[in-house]
Amino acid sequence: MELMAKIAFGAYTLIILGGSLLAVGSKSLVRAMIGLVATLLGVAGMYMLLNSAFLALMQILIYVGAVCVLIFFAIMLTRADAGGEESESAPVRQNALALAAVLVVGGVLGWLVLTHPLATTGVPVEVAIEKLGLGLLGPYGLAFELISVVLLVSMAGAVLLAWERRNGK
Amino acid sequence: MSPLAMYQLVALILLVAGLFGITQRKTLVGMLICVELMLNGAGLSIVAAAQLTPANAVLGQLGTLFVMGLAAAEATLVLAIIVVVVRRFGSAKSNAVTTLKG
Repeated sequence: MELMAKIAFGAYTLIILGGSLLAVGSKSLVRAMIGLVATLLGVAGMYMLLNSAFLALMQILIYVGAVCVLIFFAIMLTRADAGGEESESAPVRQNALALAAVLVVGGVLGWLVLTHPLATTGVPVEVAIEKLGLGLLGPYGLAFELISVVLLVSMAGAVLLAWERRNGK
Repeated sequence: MSPLAMYQLVALILLVAGLFGITQRKTLVGMLICVELMLNGAGLSIVAAAQLTPANAVLGQLGTLFVMGLAAAEATLVLAIIVVVVRRFGSAKSNAVTTLKG
């Protein structure tokens, strides 16, 4: 069982790595979105390994189901050219600077993670789904209400922004 | 290496990939994809830290749910902003969004 978990972790890590490489490096935005979908599915698998199946389902439902469709609409609505939207590559100096900046951030955070290990139980906690519901209605009720207001406001704002005024009215 | 550190390193990979992408991409849609990558890394890190330590696991899972909700709201708004930018400037490239020439 332990071995299975390690194999699954390795497989999900490979999926996440390949997906994020495709999402960042692909010339075509549609391919980049496919890479994003692969990465999201890999992260959903990680949630399964962390014993939080509800979150994995929500990840697939919200991210793969909703956010990726939104991104696809964005790609369609921008009338991207067929030859690849990102085809002209950046100058080498800019690439090197971006890589250096990213490696500084990644290096510092990775060094912190590796040198300051937290006390870990090693086995993921099992949280019953009822406890999540009780948490949403009890101690974290304000956050729950606020996020529904945020979603409503963002939806209304999006409609208002993208509203096309008819000529002559 | 503890399991927690391994999950945190995977989350760090997502953050680094997103950061690199957001500096490289020339279209607004590409930058949106990279922001989603970084938000996913944050969610994975929160869940790993909550599930593998004695911390409050309910708080961690709910926090990640809120991150997902905020990401959905953000994607909606960015889609609308991209539509407005394309209508006004005729392109979704970040270089095209200039009105002052110096």
